[in-house]
Amino acid sequence: MERLLQYVFDGLSLGSIYALLALGLVVVFRGTGHLNFAQGEMAMICTFFTWQFHAWGLPLVVSVLLGMVAGFVLGAGVEVSLIRRVAKKSEAGVFVVSIAMFLGFNSLAGMIWGNLPPEEMPSLFPDEPDDFVKIFGAVWRYEYIGIMIVALLLMGLLFLLFAKTKFGLAMRAVASNPESARLVGIPTGVVLAASWGIAAAMGALSGAMVGGLAGELTSLLMFTPFIYASASATLGGFDSPGGAVIAGLLIGVGEQLAAGYAPGWIGQELRLGVALVTIFVVLLFKPSGLFGSTKVERV
Amino acid sequence: MSLLSISDLAAGYGPLEVLHGFDLEVNQGEIVVILGANGAGKTTTMRAISGMIARRGRIEFDGQDISSSSPDSIVRLGIAQVPQGRGTFADLTVEENMLAGAYVRRDEVQADVERWFDVFPRLRERRAQRAGSLSGGEQQMLAIARALMSRPRLLLCDEPSLGLAPLITQELFGVLKRLNAEEGLSILLVEQNANLALKVAHRVYLLETGNVVSSGSAAELAADDSIRKAYLGS
Repeated sequence: MERLLQYVFDGLSLGSIYALLALGLVVVFRGTGHLNFAQGEMAMICTFFTWQFHAWGLPLVVSVLLGMVAGFVLGAGVEVSLIRRVAKKSEAGVFVVSIAMFLGFNSLAGMIWGNLPPEEMPSLFPDEPDDFVKIFGAVWRYEYIGIMIVALLLMGLLFLLFAKTKFGLAMRAVASNPESARLVGIPTGVVLAASWGIAAAMGALSGAMVGGLAGELTSLLMFTPFIYASASATLGGFDSPGGAVIAGLLIGVGEQLAAGYAPGWIGQELRLGVALVTIFVVLLFKPSGLFGSTKVERV
Repeated sequence: MSLLSISDLAAGYGPLEVLHGFDLEVNQGEIVVILGANGAGKTTTMRAISGMIARRGRIEFDGQDISSSSPDSIVRLGIAQVPQGRGTFADLTVEENMLAGAYVRRDEVQADVERWFDVFPRLRERRAQRAGSLSGGEQQMLAIARALMSRPRLLLCDEPSLGLAPLITQELFGVLKRLNAEEGLSILLVEQNANLALKVAHRVYLLETGNVVSSGSAAELAADDSIRKAYLGS
């Protein structure tokens, strides 16, 4: 029982990171209809920025915030300079460009920071071995609690932006009907650039938290989290922000359970199977995901 | 006084030119109808005026050249369009649709929402419902109300009667006529239903394959035999 509780708790914490990344995928998809395969790698680059700011002597929290600002600029810049131009010519081209960015950012990080041994990445939260509380026998590490709170807080802010602000209304209007959005005077270009920027900023935050958990920084940092995030967005429905969050948490828990209860001869790596099987099953039986609208099936 | 003045308008999609250079004018306080068959270029004309597609020629609104302005600055200047097929934001509520219509404004937005709910009471009853769940007629009313939320001086309506029951269409045209008479709103209306159009129009342009082939007051065109045969079916 304690073991189960432990897995569920760890799963929720990791899942909130996946949810954050998945929400970035959904924000981009709702705006432009594109799947940004480079979402994870953009987050990784931003984490290196964060690390660099910290290495220059800035406090970690400030570094993370600056990393998020850099992420916003990077995301918006990519949309304006690359995605928008390519999308005009060919929708399939955007797919290729986002794959190219995946490889490009990965190599770029390797080029700039790669020759060093893996950088040490400090955590935003207390992460000494004895930084935990025990609740019902399960170990609740402060770092995991912190990650969960910060991720859920940011997601809450994003939902407030969607629901309560004029800009959020414009974002939803563009997602619902881009043509009509232009006709009512919404500058759709600004909205799309901002959507990419917000997604990348959220990626930057998840990168900093994943890096803190891992304790070190390599260009492979976001590879696995991105697979879980893709599975979350698929399960929740690519156009459903709420779905992405719920699915992210579910996948986090599922992953922990699979890793925890798998017989020894299968080993820990079974956890990645959870993500892949989820993607496979959802696409096979309910391509629009649990909460998505059915029009996504056609994409 | 001429509110919208178009000269030598040419526009199209990529290499395909749909409009071949014609003139058109809407005076302050007028209802002008563009009549024409499918493919004549009516919708393309509307999209060109709103800045949604590349166009050549001169488009002046209230003395200002808007032929290379962006859609949002054209809305800000006072031209709103009700697109063909209504184009409501299906995932947004009725009220959110109205608020999105007021994107270019800040003040008195909520007061305007209530004001158009007075004109379209059925929208008030459904204000918290998703626009996609409304009937065709209600969606068309919403599309018009949304366009009015930007406080336009010129309303472009692209075939509001499309797919609506005759009774609903009449109701809609009644509203448009009232807006014109009471508020002095100028309206440029695209229509295939000539009978209906000639009843509300002050002036009419006849569009055929991207050119204006005839224009005049509604009474003149209604009296023209060849037009009667082609568009009124008698």
